[in-house]
Amino acid sequence: MKTLKIFLVLILFSATAAKAQFTKAELQVSGLTCSMCSKATEKSLRTLGFIDDIKADLNRNVFVISFKKNTPVNFSQISKKVENAGFFVNNLKATFNFSGIKVDNNSFDYSGDTFRLVNADNRTLAGPVTITVVDKGFAPASVYKKYNATVGNNPAAGHVYHVAI
Amino acid sequence: MFIMLLYSFQSLAAMKTILLILLTGMTCPVFSQELYVNTEPASNMATHSIGIRLENQGYFKPEYKNRTSLEVMYGASRTLMVHGTMYVSDYYHNGQHFEGGSAYAKYRFLSVDSVQSHFRGAVFAKVSAINNPLPNQEIGLEGDNSGFQTGVVFTKLIHKLAISASGSYLHGFNNLGGYNLPAGNAKDAIGYTLSAGYLLFPKKYESYNQVNLNVYAELLGKNNPGYGQSYLDVAPAVQLIFNSFFRVDFSYHTPIYNNMVRTSANVYLIRLEYNLFNVF
Repeated sequence: MKTLKIFLVLILFSATAAKAQFTKAELQVSGLTCSMCSKATEKSLRTLGFIDDIKADLNRNVFVISFKKNTPVNFSQISKKVENAGFFVNNLKATFNFSGIKVDNNSFDYSGDTFRLVNADNRTLAGPVTITVVDKGFAPASVYKKYNATVGNNPAAGHVYHVAI
Repeated sequence: MFIMLLYSFQSLAAMKTILLILLTGMTCPVFSQELYVNTEPASNMATHSIGIRLENQGYFKPEYKNRTSLEVMYGASRTLMVHGTMYVSDYYHNGQHFEGGSAYAKYRFLSVDSVQSHFRGAVFAKVSAINNPLPNQEIGLEGDNSGFQTGVVFTKLIHKLAISASGSYLHGFNNLGGYNLPAGNAKDAIGYTLSAGYLLFPKKYESYNQVNLNVYAELLGKNNPGYGQSYLDVAPAVQLIFNSFFRVDFSYHTPIYNNMVRTSANVYLIRLEYNLFNVF
């Protein structure tokens, strides 16, 4: 009976954790010139363990990424993989499920990383919301300069990302 | 006959490219091609990917001679790529003969990218060690001369059109096997190229498996300063890309002007290239 209780608690916990997560993202890459370059980029991205699947829109240079459940998503790794393929992230829109997440002072924590909302105005966020990363490495200069945003280090651990909703 | 057909087809393709550039080059918001056949663009291949090229080039007059080369390319980092090439030909001997090899590195120092255009700059260097006799005035590091080369290349991509230009300095050494550069020959040369590439098909990308057809027109020039020796070749090329990783190139060089002694001014080229992504 005790085992069952622990099991139920675990299930409940994992269900809650599963809700508060990144489910998918739309990644637009700049500098892509040909399907061979897109393929190299997609293959580079697919080496990331938290990516479940990628669908490429070759005409818009957009990769629609679905993330694995219960595997933490690391955005810095996404940017790094795109740059390793010889290109740059032009836009990264990710869908985050805010259920069970506490947004405090326009900031929330996810898997050791801190996400600062640059334009949330202390709005209450719940359910799936699309956020755009506005840091250098994720957006064109005009955007990251506007928000003066650069991925920083969280004193605790992980990164500090600046995101717009 | 085959080469005549190939040549007329490619001239046509080159004319078509120029026409397309003039008519539609600026209006189609799709992709562009910079996988040049006779030159390298300023862009590099993806980190930890490998490209393998098997190439045959040659000429028919005064007799049929040809050179085969095997080239391995590696994306060392996002900004650095390296090539190693081995050459075999019957250009200077009766029968096929292993001529030596070359190593090439390219470092991308400039990237100004937006969604469907970019401007890139790179510096490159090449060294070669070759064991052929030296009857020519041309210094060429692709199997003919031992030497080194260094230069810069800039590539601008605008939608379906990619334009690239390079300038380089070449220095010839004595070849291996006791073949010395003749006393009256230039040891230094200037090389320059101007390339245009255009994506003809597909008109609209739907999948990685669509066959890509690219056409190219390239100008390849060399000058031996102080010796009054120079040439400028035009090299039209056609390229097919299958499944986004296998590439077949056809090209033909012919001189616009030439007063430099070289093996042959009229050369065909056929190349197969296979790309492997994320090898390490």
